[in-house]
Amino acid sequence: MSSSAVEVSDKETVNLANVTPAAATAEESFARKAFRSFCGNKFALVSAIILLTIILSTILAGVISPYSPLEGHAKDRLLPIGSPGHILGTDEQGRDMLTRMLYGGRMTLLAGFVPVIVAACLGGGLGIIAGYFGGRIGTLIMRVLDIFYAFPAVILSIAISAALGQGLLNIMISIAIVFTPPVARVMETAVKRIRNQEFIEAAKSSGAGPFAIMRRHVLPNVFSDLFVFSTSQISLGIVIAAGLSFLGLGVAPPTPEWGVMLNSIKQLIFVDPMLTIVPGLGLFLTALTINICADGIRDALQVK
Amino acid sequence: MLNFLLKRLLLMIPTLIGVTIIVFLIIQLVPGNPVDALVPPESSQEVKDQLIESLGLDQPLYVQYLKWMGDLLQGDLGRSIIKTSSVNTLLFDAFKNSLVLALFSAAFAFIGSLILGVIAAYKPKSIFASIGNMIAIFGISIPNFWGGLILMGIFSVTLNWLPSIGMYSVGGDGGFLDLIKHMILPGIACGMVTLGVMTRMIRSNVYDLLNEEFVLTLKAKGAKSSTILLHVLKNATPGILAIAGLQFSQLLGGSILVETVFSWPGLGQLIYQAISQRDYPIIQSGILLVAVFFVLLNILVDLLHAAIDPRVQKG
Repeated sequence: MSSSAVEVSDKETVNLANVTPAAATAEESFARKAFRSFCGNKFALVSAIILLTIILSTILAGVISPYSPLEGHAKDRLLPIGSPGHILGTDEQGRDMLTRMLYGGRMTLLAGFVPVIVAACLGGGLGIIAGYFGGRIGTLIMRVLDIFYAFPAVILSIAISAALGQGLLNIMISIAIVFTPPVARVMETAVKRIRNQEFIEAAKSSGAGPFAIMRRHVLPNVFSDLFVFSTSQISLGIVIAAGLSFLGLGVAPPTPEWGVMLNSIKQLIFVDPMLTIVPGLGLFLTALTINICADGIRDALQVK
Repeated sequence: MLNFLLKRLLLMIPTLIGVTIIVFLIIQLVPGNPVDALVPPESSQEVKDQLIESLGLDQPLYVQYLKWMGDLLQGDLGRSIIKTSSVNTLLFDAFKNSLVLALFSAAFAFIGSLILGVIAAYKPKSIFASIGNMIAIFGISIPNFWGGLILMGIFSVTLNWLPSIGMYSVGGDGGFLDLIKHMILPGIACGMVTLGVMTRMIRSNVYDLLNEEFVLTLKAKGAKSSTILLHVLKNATPGILAIAGLQFSQLLGGSILVETVFSWPGLGQLIYQAISQRDYPIIQSGILLVAVFFVLLNILVDLLHAAIDPRVQKG
């Protein structure tokens, strides 16, 4: 992922590229070029660093915070931002807000990332099969998936989640179902574009089976399309996941999750309108940095 | 044109059948016995068996589907489990309210994105373009329910400028102005995503068109910049229209979350209550209504597209 690669400094990459210019295979040098182009985009680079910080601090929540995410002190209820010992204040049950943000982020990020990966595998597979075979198989797969386009993404995931019942796994399933058809459509288009090219013909005539061709020759050639599209889905996944939790379909409270936190605080907006800022800002900042990174990745992969 | 319309209408039928199958199957996902969700937990097995038989739940799945479809085709969406009224009345009232909000919100988003997108394309290096780009990326990143809470916190709670909940003031005259006042905050919250998506789309569309040869020709002929803009916009319309149709339905779907924040008496609010009460007929009919509306809207968009660009009819 782009975010983990960012730790390598720009200078090092350039040096590496200088040392082995001839030895690098075509694919490596493309990846390197794309990475360098991504790092040249200051917005994307800064966003990637912020995003990485957010992800790392949610993973290390237990190390960073001395408080429990579930238990609070009644006398410390609703402390404002900047209170001593509670940088982001406390919530309506006296629990440290920063701690709950860190632990809550785990759930929200997980519920946003996992469905995208599942949809990329499922939709990618279906799209490649549909695009490669075309004909009746392709039409059948794509027509069935097209039906899902009749539903707005949010409402379909709400309906599926509501039917499956409350729970983190269930919201991940519902978002994965909603995200699969668009991936399949993007992949089908991409595969159709290369299906009739000579290297595929060559592989066919040398006796390679259809699934070997799809894996060895088709997938590497359409992988950047898949990657770009999937990264653009991540922020939407996180926002939908938080939205489902906001409606009470995700994790059950007391477990912290950004959407759940917003829901429990929403009643208190008439007491203190500032209260909703913190959980929402975490969500917004994550979605924003992911979107900027996704744009950066898209631009970087267009460098050929 | 008539042929085109007929073809589109015929193509709509398999889609609609597919939509009903999906909606029907979603409710089959409910874990456990569907009757458990319908009766109080302390009911006896006898009561449950009776209900299963009367609802036809002991029939094979395809028989249940056909029966449900038969009712649907007669315009009967079933009965709410919790509220004793028919789903039809509840649903259409709520849908009308949601549509009012969505139209207001779409107007805000479409007009805003047209202005921002065109400016950003014309003067890509100007400060306006940067602001436009920033609004666009903020718009697609901001969760609409949080945006709603923030707007409510600022403009209703702190400044007390605009009402925070409902569609009309209690004891008010129920006039148009009152409605507009109630719509501003949820409308903006709903429309932010659409504003962001559309601004980015219009910007790149108009930007590409500005580099086309016909624009150069117009410039060489000495056409006024307003004339050029008119030509560019006319060429950009089909693309914008296609996205706008798609965005409108996403907006309607996304408004569920915003409606719960502002207690807007729409479909979102209805579905939200239905979720917590496990009132599945309402959820089922609600998403069905939105999906059917979307399919019809798509046909409308296609027709408009064909009217603007005659090549579509032939293709």
